[in-house]
Formats: sequence, C-alpha cells, structure tokens
Amino acid sequence: MIALVGAQSRLFGRAVLGAREPRLGRAFLSQVASLGGATVPLVTFGMAFFGMVMTTIAWAQARKYTGSLAVVGPAYFELILREFAPLLTALLAASRQAAFVSAELGSMAVNEQLEAMELSAADPVTELVTPRLFASIAVMPLLTIIGAVAASLSAMLTVTFFFHEDGLSFVSPQYVTFGDLACAFTKALAAGAYVPIAAALRGLRARGGAGAVGDAVTVGVVEACMGCLVLDFLIAVFFHSVGA
Amino acid sequence: MRLLGRLTIMVLRAVGAVALVCARTALALRHVSGRELARALTLFGYRSLPLTLGAATMIGATVVLQAGVYATRFGLRLFTGWAAGYALIWEFGPLLLGLIMAARIGARNAAELSLLSVNGQLEGLRGISLDPFRLLVAPRVVAAFLSVGALAAVTFLVAILWEAVAAFFTLHLPLRVFFTSFPDMLRWTDLVGGLTKTIIFGGAIAVISTAVGLRTRGGAQGVGRAAAEAVVACCATIFALDLLLTPLLSRWLS
Amino acid sequence: MNVSLDEVSVVHGAVRALDGVSLQLPLGTQLLVWGAAGGGKTTLLKVIAGLVTPSSGQSRWDGREVATFTRGERRAEQAHLGMIFQSDALFDSRTVLDNVTFPLVRRGVGEREARERALATLERVGLSHAVDKTPETLSGGMRKRVGVARAIVAGPDVLLADDPFAGLDPVTERAVGDLLLEVSRGRTLVIAVPEPPRTLALPRQLELDRGRFAQP
Repeated sequence: MIALVGAQSRLFGRAVLGAREPRLGRAFLSQVASLGGATVPLVTFGMAFFGMVMTTIAWAQARKYTGSLAVVGPAYFELILREFAPLLTALLAASRQAAFVSAELGSMAVNEQLEAMELSAADPVTELVTPRLFASIAVMPLLTIIGAVAASLSAMLTVTFFFHEDGLSFVSPQYVTFGDLACAFTKALAAGAYVPIAAALRGLRARGGAGAVGDAVTVGVVEACMGCLVLDFLIAVFFHSVGA
Repeated sequence: MRLLGRLTIMVLRAVGAVALVCARTALALRHVSGRELARALTLFGYRSLPLTLGAATMIGATVVLQAGVYATRFGLRLFTGWAAGYALIWEFGPLLLGLIMAARIGARNAAELSLLSVNGQLEGLRGISLDPFRLLVAPRVVAAFLSVGALAAVTFLVAILWEAVAAFFTLHLPLRVFFTSFPDMLRWTDLVGGLTKTIIFGGAIAVISTAVGLRTRGGAQGVGRAAAEAVVACCATIFALDLLLTPLLSRWLS
Repeated sequence: MNVSLDEVSVVHGAVRALDGVSLQLPLGTQLLVWGAAGGGKTTLLKVIAGLVTPSSGQSRWDGREVATFTRGERRAEQAHLGMIFQSDALFDSRTVLDNVTFPLVRRGVGEREARERALATLERVGLSHAVDKTPETLSGGMRKRVGVARAIVAGPDVLLADDPFAGLDPVTERAVGDLLLEVSRGRTLVIAVPEPPRTLALPRQLELDRGRFAQP
C-alpha cells in the first residue's frame, strides 16, 4: 500500500517534470480528445439517468415527510453539485480513462515499445504519461460541469413532466455556497490528477504477454476507482472540518 | 439518418450478443463443473472482499458526512440514521458497489475470456468437442451473480457500521440513537430492494463482460481494448438499469 | 563505443536470466549469439543497450560503468546504440516515416534534416514506397526493415538485433541478414538467434544456454 502510493507519487513527480519538454502540445491535444471528448457521452448519459433517480427518491421522501418537493429539492440540488457530480463523474471517467490508459500503455510495454522509446532518446514517462496527466487534469473539471448540468437538467425535466411540479424550484440554488463549488472543483482536480497516474503506473509495469495487459487493466481500473473514493472522502473531510 | 441506422445496428448487435450469452449460459447451467465454479467464486467473490470492505468504509463515511449536513440544517439530527441508511441501501450502496464491481469483475472477466479467445484456446476446446460455454462461461456468470449478492450484503452491513461510527465522531450522535431510528422507519422491504438491485447489476456485469470478452480479436491490444470496453459498457448499463429498477422495485415493495 | 560485461547476472524473481556472463565487445566486433528460447539472449542484448540493469556484476560503455550514469547521461550515451526488437516494437500510431524520424527529432535534429536523413535511411532498407503507411498494414519483412531503419538512422556504433529472422521466409531472411551486415560495416553488430542460420556467417559465434555461455 505504502509502496504503491510511493511509486505513484514518484511517477507523478516525473510526469510533472516532463512538462519541460516543449514538443508535447499535439500529444496533449490528442489526449484531451481521447480522454475528455470520448468520455462525454458516458458522463452525460450516466449523470442524466442519475438525476432522474435522485428526483424519484426525493419525491418519495417528500411525500412521506414534508409533503412538498420544493422543500427537499434545493437540498438535493446542493447534494448533486457538491457530492454526486464530482464523485460519480470521477468514477465514470475513471473507469473509462483508466481502462484505456492502462490498456494502451500496457500493450506498448509488452511489445517492447517503451524500450524502443528509451533507445530513441525519449523518456517514456515524459512522452506518454505527461500529456495524459495534464489532459486529464484539464478535462475532469469540465466533465464534472457537464455531469452536473446533465443531472440537474434531467432532474428538472423529470419533476416537471412526471411529477407535475415546478421543476425550477428543484434546482433552486438557495443552499449552494462558494464552499460547495470549491469542494466540487477540488475533488475534480484531484481525481483528474490521480486517475491517469494510477492507470499509467500499471500499464508501464506490464511485462509478459496479452495476459499481463489484461491484469494491468483490471488492477489499474480498480486502483483508479478506489483512489477516487478515498480522495473524495479526504477532501470532504477537509472541507467539513474547515466548515465550508 | 445514417448515424441513426449505425446506432440501431450497434444496439441490436449488442442485445443479440447479450441474449446469446444468457441463453447459452442457461442451457449449460445444469452441467456447470463444480471445480470451475469454485475457482470463479474465489476469484470474483473472495478476492474482491478487501476492495469491497475498503469501498464500504469510504461510502459509509461519506454518506454520513453529507447526510449529517442536511440533518442538522433541517433539525432532524435524530433521523440521521434513517436518512443515511435509506440512501445507502437504496441508492449509494448498489450504485457504487455496481460501478466498482464493473471495474473489478467486469474488466477481469473480459480480460480473461478475451485472452483465451485471442490465444485460440476457445477454438481448441471446440475442436475437441467441449462446449466452452459449459466449461468456462456458465461458471463465471453464476459466480458473478452469487459473489455480487454476497458482497452487497457485506457492504451494506459494513457501510452502516461505519456510518454509525462516523455519525458518532462528526455529529456526536450516540450509537444507540443512530440505530433506534432504523427499525421505526426502515423496513425489510428496503433491504430486499437494495439487494435485488445489486444482484441484478452483478448479473448484468457478468453477461456483458462475457459478451465483450468472447468477441475479441487481435493480440495484446485486443485484450486491453476488450477490458476497457467491458468496463464502459457495464457502467453505462448499471446507470440505465438503476433508473428502471428504482421506481419498479419501490412500487412493488411498498 | 566499446562495450564490456563483467560477471553480469540478471535475476527476475525466481528466474536467473543471466548467470555471470562476461563479454568484450570492442568497436567493430561481429558477434552471433545463439541458444534455445529462455536462454537469456534478449536479456543479454538489453543489458548491453542499458535497458536492463544487472542484478550483480558490471556493464561498461567505454570503460565507464552504466549503473553510475544519471538518467539523462544514459539516454545521451544510448545514441551510440541501436536495437532491433524481437516484436519490432514499432510505434503503431505513427507512420513509417515518423517512426524513423522519431529518434532524430528527440535528439534535437531539426525537422527538415531529420526528414531527409530518415528518407535516405528508408531508401537504404528498400522502403521508399511505404513511408506514409502505418506499421499495421506492413508485412513481417517490411516491419523488420522499418525496425532496422529506426535502429540505424542515428548512426549508432553498436547495432543489436534480437531474433531478426523470426517469422521470415528464407529469401527475406537472407535479405535482412545482408542488410544487417551492410549497414553495420566497421561497427559492432550483435545478432541473437534461436539457432545459427546457414546463410549468415559472423566471425564470432557464442552459444548462450540457461544464462551462461556454453564452453566451445
């Protein structure tokens, strides 16, 4: 466990230092497309469904206790912004991005391409991990915004058309504070930095044949998802303890 | 229009592949080898236990942290137990456990099966007239079902315990108070609903990852791609199923 | 560059891939290493190239121990080494030309000059017609030659070829063998193969068996 976190921090350090290499602009952009753009449908779809589920539950609770959706609605809206949008977006994005990163790097590793890179005077970490790291950091907050918008919109529509109540009252921002947004943003940044590192570490370490790539993907995805949960909790505790 | 057509074909093919896996698994069910089943149960169930316990801890603590904020805001501190338990059993528990199991079991299963098909071992089995479904696929599907069900029960239990602990430390809510709100407001049907949801997620993960894994062609890259696709397909399906199951189950059970 | 290995052992877990191997490779050596699969040939080449660090013993480039280089120094020195990998290890997402320009561009050669040198090298290995293709669309022999081009484009002193004839038909095998001899004239060449080929005669031949050189 400690060894793993140590290896991840070292990889993170090397990847950050790799940003000094000037020729990575194009690789960065193509990673923004493949880590970000290609994840948008999954996040939109998943969070829209989740928004509907949340309203269904809120509706059940409202009928039981308060009698009106307008009372619990804003609380749920804050919950979506502060907690669900960052966490579920991160988990969805983590599973897709981590799977792709560890699969790609893992199959490069077992095909000796990393060693071919070393002999071509290129550092595989700079070449492969750095663009993915920065692309993911740049993209995760945007994905979180997309996820939050998708969840809120679908919640609003569900309330309006299925429960025939005022959808706008559900998404009222009366409880949303600056602290909520800062908390959500921090979570997104942390997940964005962690996911590619966890996945890349497993990919780079793959040795052997196709089986090694499969193992790298399995372990990489699990560690990325687990890391997101842990980071989410730690950040939640931090913001809770400073009272934001 | 063309895009729509392509999408339809894609969906139809996916549904076809999933249906095929379901049907052939059902047919092979009577002949499942006990040894393979035990192996798959160890791999999917037992080996996932540490991950599940870790996840349950995180989920429980996070839910209380959030629920606590609202409980204090609405002056419902005494109901924290109920609110946290309800959210956990109905929504948080099944969904998060489903996503994590998609990563753990789905990726693993797809990777293993695709490895067998890439290496030509499935063809080899057919060559000596052994049915790969009976030998390899059916035990995995059954094992994934059983494992996820059992893991769900463990998760709920552990997560609720951690919720109580977290409530004690953050909200200074005595453990007794936390749990007294349980029997009043949570019914056993809630538990049945949450467990049913999770088990269905487990089945979907098993079937989808199997379908993706068996379709793979092409070396190390193919195996990686299959694992990645399986995770994405499982996650998307879990969210869709979640939407379908929540209203259905809550209507049936109330 | 002169390479020397002194009592080098490499241990992967419980497997001893190399077991106390010593070897002198002064500039201009032409060496054929052969032996059954799992005998340590790939590991030997990777130790020479500085890609694998010995568990014990020393490998030296021009007398200096490789383990004492910093990461940057080692990468700079590796310019003197070129390796043709067993699995070709071509970069799938890049075209043939980009595969060959890559080592030059990463060593700070300007785009235009790198392109010219890469094109000249590709012509030398007989691939001028395939510069814009991607590696997946090439045949086994062509992929091998792209690997050769990428290994020699920076003009290395030491050329290492790991099982360069695997999966090639006899005609292509001879063509690749001749190409290796031609491009490495006056430099060091180390070829590792499962069994000595009839068509390729190198002055020195060594058998590597379970991590040790068999006594002749």
